[in-house]
Order: sequence, then C-alpha cells, then structure tokens
Amino acid sequence: MSEALGRVVATERRPNTPHEFHFWTAIESPVGIGTIVRVDGTHPIDGQIPHIYGIVVEGFSYTDLQSPMHDVLGHDGSPTQAGFATTERAEIRLYTAAVLRQLPEEPLQPVPMGQVFLAEEADVQVALRMDGYLRGGANTGIPVGVYRAGGTDAVIYLDADFLLGPEAAHLNITGVSGLATKTSAVEWLLSSLFAHFPEEKGSIAAVCLNVKGPDLCYLDQPGKLEESDRKLYEKLEVPARPFEKVEYFAPFTAKGLTLNTFRNNEQLLDNVTPLTWGLREVLQFAEVLLNKDDVDAKADAVIDFIKENVVDKEFSDSILQKTHRVQSFADLDAWFRDVLRGLEQKDDQSWRTHHVATIRKVRNRLSNISTRCAGLVTDAGTVSDLPFGSFEDRTVYVVDVANLEEDAQDLIFARVVSKLREHLERRDLGVKHLVVFVDELNKYAPADGPDTYVRKMLLDIAERGRYLGLVLFSAQQFRSQVHRRVVGNSGTGLFGRMDPDELSTPGYAVLTPATRTKLATLEKGQLMIRHPHFTQPIFVRFPRPSVMQGREGSERYPQSGEVPLDAAVLRSLRALDSSLTMAWVQEITALYSEQEVLRARNATLLAKPADVRAFFASQFRKIVAAQPVPRQRAPNIRTVPDDDPYAF
Amino acid sequence: MLVSTAGPDGASRAALRLLIDRLPGVSAIEGAPAMSEVSPLTEAPTLQPAELVESEPLRAVSVISQTPGPSGFGAFLDGAQRVQVIGRINGLPLVLGTVAAAVRVRINRRLITWGGESPKVEKRIYVPVRYLGQPANLKNADFDIVDTSAPDSAGEFPSMHPSLLLERAVQRVHTHRDQLESRLAEAWCAASDAPIFIDGGISASRPVASCPLAVGVIKSHRTLYVEGAALGIVLDLRKGERSSVFRVSPRGRKTVMSWYLRVRDAAGRDALWGLVRIEIAETESSSDRADEISRWVMAEMSPLSLPDGRWDRMAYGVRDCEEFLRAIS
Repeated sequence: MSEALGRVVATERRPNTPHEFHFWTAIESPVGIGTIVRVDGTHPIDGQIPHIYGIVVEGFSYTDLQSPMHDVLGHDGSPTQAGFATTERAEIRLYTAAVLRQLPEEPLQPVPMGQVFLAEEADVQVALRMDGYLRGGANTGIPVGVYRAGGTDAVIYLDADFLLGPEAAHLNITGVSGLATKTSAVEWLLSSLFAHFPEEKGSIAAVCLNVKGPDLCYLDQPGKLEESDRKLYEKLEVPARPFEKVEYFAPFTAKGLTLNTFRNNEQLLDNVTPLTWGLREVLQFAEVLLNKDDVDAKADAVIDFIKENVVDKEFSDSILQKTHRVQSFADLDAWFRDVLRGLEQKDDQSWRTHHVATIRKVRNRLSNISTRCAGLVTDAGTVSDLPFGSFEDRTVYVVDVANLEEDAQDLIFARVVSKLREHLERRDLGVKHLVVFVDELNKYAPADGPDTYVRKMLLDIAERGRYLGLVLFSAQQFRSQVHRRVVGNSGTGLFGRMDPDELSTPGYAVLTPATRTKLATLEKGQLMIRHPHFTQPIFVRFPRPSVMQGREGSERYPQSGEVPLDAAVLRSLRALDSSLTMAWVQEITALYSEQEVLRARNATLLAKPADVRAFFASQFRKIVAAQPVPRQRAPNIRTVPDDDPYAF
Repeated sequence: MLVSTAGPDGASRAALRLLIDRLPGVSAIEGAPAMSEVSPLTEAPTLQPAELVESEPLRAVSVISQTPGPSGFGAFLDGAQRVQVIGRINGLPLVLGTVAAAVRVRINRRLITWGGESPKVEKRIYVPVRYLGQPANLKNADFDIVDTSAPDSAGEFPSMHPSLLLERAVQRVHTHRDQLESRLAEAWCAASDAPIFIDGGISASRPVASCPLAVGVIKSHRTLYVEGAALGIVLDLRKGERSSVFRVSPRGRKTVMSWYLRVRDAAGRDALWGLVRIEIAETESSSDRADEISRWVMAEMSPLSLPDGRWDRMAYGVRDCEEFLRAIS
C-alpha cells in the first residue's frame, strides 16, 4: 500500500458531507485538480471499514499571515528581501474533493476522518464504477484515455452500453477550435471503439460528415506518432495504425469535372466515390431546401402531386402536348413548360386544383435546386450513393461536404441520416450499430433560430436513435449554443480546452472555479469526461490519432484544381483501371459533347466494371465518322477560242 | 493574561468528573475560562547591576552586516501553559493546569517537529488538600495531584484566601512548564549539534546553561541588568545594535553571559519596543559570539510574528512553536 498523502479535516465552518470532503497534504504532494484519492476510514460501519473515493475539485493554499500588510512590513516594503527570510511561513495545501463513490454504499454518511491515499489503478476502477462493466466475460469497456496523477497511470473506460446504447447513448465534444481537440478525439475514439467494441454486440460502422477542413480526409493514411503516443496506444490496447477500411463520398464540382473534396488527389481516388443524386432523391427532401415561406400548403400540394403522380411515371394530360416520363430535373422542367403552355393556351388559371401562380412558384424553386446544388444534383438523374444496405463492419464512411454550399450540405445531411435511419429501422443497413459524427453542431442544431428540418432530425436521433443503434457523436465549439435537448441527451460528454466566455455560461455552473480554470488551460490531448457511470467529471489524456492530420495530408496530397475534360475523365477512371492513357481517353471522347462524356464517366464510376475500357466506350452512341470524298473536276463543255477577247 | 472563552474540553471534563467522584461537595464552574498566559507572581520592575564581560563602560555595538546573513539556529524551543479553574470546594479553587513544550527543527526553511524528543503535554490537578475538610484519596492514573496548600520553604502554610491558592496553583503550573522546557532543552543539547533558539532564559537548567548550543532570548524586561548611564545606552540602542556583554545570574540561577539587542527600530515607540536580552553559556570569545548570535536573532525576526502582540520581539520560529502547542494541547 502506498503512503498516505493527506488527512481528512472538517471544521464547523467547513464540514464534510456525503458528497464532499476536505483534506490537507504536504506542500510537495502530487495532488492537483482532477486527482482521484481514496480515504480509509478508521471506524468500521456494520463491520466494514469505509472507503471513500473522491476527485479533487478545488484547492486552497494559505499561510499563517493574517494580512498582506504584515508581509510588507516584514520585508520593509522590498520584495527582494523576502528571499532572505531564514524560515518560510507555515503553509497549507487544503483540497476539496467531490465524492465519487462510498463503500459500503449504505448507509450514506458524511465522509469520516481518515488518511488520504493517492488512488491506484484498481482504486480508479472502483471509484468510477468501472468494475461493473470490466468484468471478465461481460466486458463492455471502451478505452477513452489514461488518467494520470502522481505516478498512477489508469486506463479510463467508457461503457459501450452507455456510449452506443441501449442504456444511454450519444457523445458530445466541446472545445475551442485550432487545438486539434474535437476531431482528434473523435478519430481516436473511433479507433478505440473499433478495437474494443465487443464482438457479441454485433457490427459497428461510422459515418463522418466532414463539414470543414481536410482533417477527416486522410483516415486511411498513417500519421506521425511520438514515442509517448505509442506507449499510450500500448497501454490502451488499441493498434496504432490508421483505419483499415475507409470509404469516401463527395459530390462533383459545379462544372462536374472533378470531385469537390480535399481528397481528390489522383493517388487517393481509389476509395473515393462520387455522391450524386437525381430528382427523386432530392424531391424526398425538398423541405430541406425550401423554407417555410416558400413552401406553403398550396405549394406543398403541388410538390406532393409531382412526387406521387409525375416522377418516374408515364404522365399524360389533355393540356399536355405529349406524354412525359420525368426522371431528371431536365425532364421536370420540360413537364412544367408543357403544363404552363397548356394553361396559357386554354387561358385557364388553374390545373387540377393547382393555381397557375403556385405552379410557377414551385417550378421556380425546384428548378433552382439543381443550380444551387450543382455537382450533387444532376440533371441527368444519375444516382451514386452511400452503400445503404451493405455497410461493412468496422468501416468509416466519410461524406465530404466541406466545400459545398450550405443548402447542399443540409440536403446531404438530411438525406443520408434519413436513409440510415430507415435502414436501421428495417435492420438492413448492413451493420447493427452506426455512429454518425457531425461537427459544428451549433450550426446544425442551434439553441436559437428557426426550427429547420436538419435540427428536427438531430433532435430525433438524440432522443430516439439509441433504440435503433443510431448514435450521434457531435462536436461544437460552444456547447451553450446548441439545442439543449441534443446535448442533454448525450450520455457522454468530452470537453477539451474551453473558451472562458463559454465557461461563464450557466451550463458550467456545476463545475468548481478550479475545474473551470483547468478546463480553460487544458493542453492538447487532454480531455474532461462526463459519463453516466462517473459521478464527477474526470480528466484524461488520449494519444494523438494514428491517422494523417489534415494539414500534413493536404501538403503531401495537394488538392487538384479544375482540369480539362479529358484529364478529369482519365483521373477518375484510372482509379478503376490504372492502365488507361490520355491518348485512349481522347480517342474515345473526341466526337462527343462534354455532357455525354461526363455521363459516360459517371456511369462507369457507378458500375465499377471489370473491363473499364469496354464499358466506358459502350456508353456513347454510335457516330459514323465522315469519309472525305475526292472531288472530280468536271470537263469543260466547250473549248474557248484562243482569240476570244471577252474570255477570261 | 489571555483568556479563552472556549467551552470545557475533554480533559477538563475528565478532571472534574474525577474530583466530583472523590470529593463530595465539589461544584463545577460552568464555562470556566482558560488562562493561557499568566504571569505567576507580579514582580516589581527592578534595575540590577551586572558584571561587564567586555571592556567597560557598557557601550552600543553595531552587529548589522551589509547583507542579511543566514541564521545558524537549527531549532526553536518554546512552552505553553493553560490554567483552568474547573471547580471549587468550600469556595476554594480546584485548578487544572496544562503545560506543553516542543522543539521545532528547521529543514529546508520549513519548521517541523523534532523527532529526537517528542512534544510534551502534561496535565495536573491543583487541589488545596489541607482545606478540603475531609480525608481524600485523589490518586489516579490520569492526573498528578498537586497540593496548593503545602507549606512553603519556610514551613508556613498559605491562608485559605482563594486568590492566594489560585496564585500558588498558577506558580506551580509555571514551574512545571519551566521543567518541561528544560527537559527538552537538555535532550537537545545532549543529542544535537545545532544551536537552538530558546524562548526565555537558559539559566534554570544547569546542563542547558552550560551548553554552547543553547541560546535564550528573553522578551520581557521586569528586571533590567543595567543602571545609571548604561541604562540610557541600552534604552537608546538602535536597530541592529547590541550592548556590551555582561554576566548575570537571574534569580540566583546558573551564571550565564548576556547582552541586550534591539531587533526593530523603536523610533516613536516605547523604549523597550524591539528590545530582547540574549543569554548564552560562558565562552572565551564573548564579543565575537555575541555579534554572531545577534545577527542570527536579527535574521529570525523575519517573517513577522504578527498578529501576536509581542511581534516586535518574537521570532517567527517561536510563534510557530506556540501555534503548534496550541494545536496539540
């Protein structure tokens, strides 16, 4: 047993309670804010010596100096003389600790007097009730970091049942930007989750929505680790290597030539899939793009009519010139034109109960979508999507929306999450548990502002997702600006270095001033954790992620800009067949328009055929090349006399 | 005299219980105050000439060096006493006396309790046995019993005046404290090799009075060992000045060397403000030793001993001892 490092003290003015106690230590003791300690009582209760576990939440230091003026007088007003004092004043280090656990748990009494010991690894497990879920045969522990204090290195585990459900679920991370806290913590935690999630609990995958920067774009590339990080990985029993299975999805740029992602370097395109949707996919989520002012009940009725009766159906009407089969935005626009033309011809104001003004308004708004979401929404209706239904275990699916307009981001978010939810409800997603990581939560689920479709979806996940296996890992800089029901339903909370202004908001009033100060000064790689099993927040260290960081990745694999059509096609198709050459692409595409070439490329990328050359070539209509015909000179009808003066 | 209004503590309750058990007619004194600092008998302020050791006449010697020097003291010794009138019988006081003493050693500029001899806390009950009016068996395992009605050195018994009996109790408590301090000082002198700062004189114990490690620092001056022109020189000492060394035998005890030292500037204050008298064992090089020890004592005046009322003369190490004794006794 280690030596005692302190003694519990209690006075009438500062008594101990069942949830808080005070102790003093030697000046040089390794105790600090966040240190876990154990108190051994001296008198047995029901035949058992009580053990109390606590975490230091506040510290005080003072001397027997009654007034600062006494010190001034003692040194004749000269601070330089203070160092010559032969004796230092009697000084105390007095700490306040919040109780983590008492054994025996009943009767719950004020903390007794006793000696205070630094908690060892076994004590930490008991103090945080981790012993309940680290049992052999029923181990649901997910390492989240290492608690360090005074030579104690204890792995802190989260309970998978309370991280991914069904008991509780969801995780929220808060921290200031630029300190690699939020993204790094999620990358590390996913690694740990994939390594330690119990096999018997089923498969697990993650969908990461990359909303800014390139940090999530190199999850399959090894990062730089220091020796201290490797030791942490070893201690935490997580392999220090990048994710083995990562799939990237990104829309095209507005021109459609290259993928609109930081990860569009040719060397990394092998696991990047275009994300493109057609009319049907977009209409399902028209509400995301059309605000309430746009879509009143009448406009909503028109959209419903189109969804139910027009899209993907043979549609004919007496006012129409022809039968329409609407499969793309281009088809839809043609249908609108035909309807409006028919109404004008009949000089009628309504068609099938829909007023012409409403029809015009809906046409205007819907037609605008393909422009606002160019690169994602295709006129042609080509659909390239996440592999809903065939998600694989321990795979990360990254949807890169960082470079998209806000509308497109919202549309992708809404549709992806909705589809995930649908499949999880039907139990046919391919995995049993799915983590969805969303950064910038204060943008998507703000505490104030309009009740958007995306916010409603996030609330729905937060409140009901755990029953489906749909777990939200969310992050933001300012937790106070996120809808309280979203963060409130997050069973687990991680806190990196915090902004002092944020810490002054009411949500942090439960923390002591010392804990808040520590939060405001946390180093990189340090986190404060709240978890249902932990009665108080715990501070841990976690290793830097074993994946390439965004800055390094974007330097090593620079993002490629817009390139000529043939170069863009070659770059895309080379991901499927590295033997392709520029000459071959130019030969195949020489006779066709840009739209036709891109359609052929997209179809090839979607099909991923074994014979890329043949498949790509087959996407073009046959054109017979014009043959030059030698021109025959016609003989003169008659000869011209040599002496004809009018001849030329 | 400092009077605490704290309620009865465990020791006084136990003492009272014992007396009530053994002596019918004892009445408890509710909320008996504790007298922490008591002058046992009021001495009349006197001037007493002393034999000069350094060349005559007595003069002021500056001991201040350019930079504050380190102190050679390795430890501090002080004692404390508490007198509680816990009950009365036939109107006469029954007193609980508590004395304590401790040595605090300095390690890395911090003071801790000396491990060579643990701090002492002793309690005695002072009873006027002669005037109890009944035979009593007060022997017990917890408290020594001291008779405040015992005859003095001349064989005369004190009267039954309650104040006189209380004074005799206080006198005996004080003597007890002196004995306790002397025991610790002797233990230090026998076991250690570092000079010790003793609060008060050193002449009460012969081994201590002859120990070169013991330095007594006296803060009260009921007796001034100078007269005539020398008195003016002592009272006019400036900060950092000492008087010539002289030889004294306080109250007929062992002869020691002594001198006055002004540790704080007394301008605008009482003449005795910041004035201490230092006692050491006889030594050949009295001047050099007096200079050196004076500098040590000056160095011990920082940090200040405020809020103690005697802070102008009290070393911080002595205050630390007092605070320690207050905590344990």
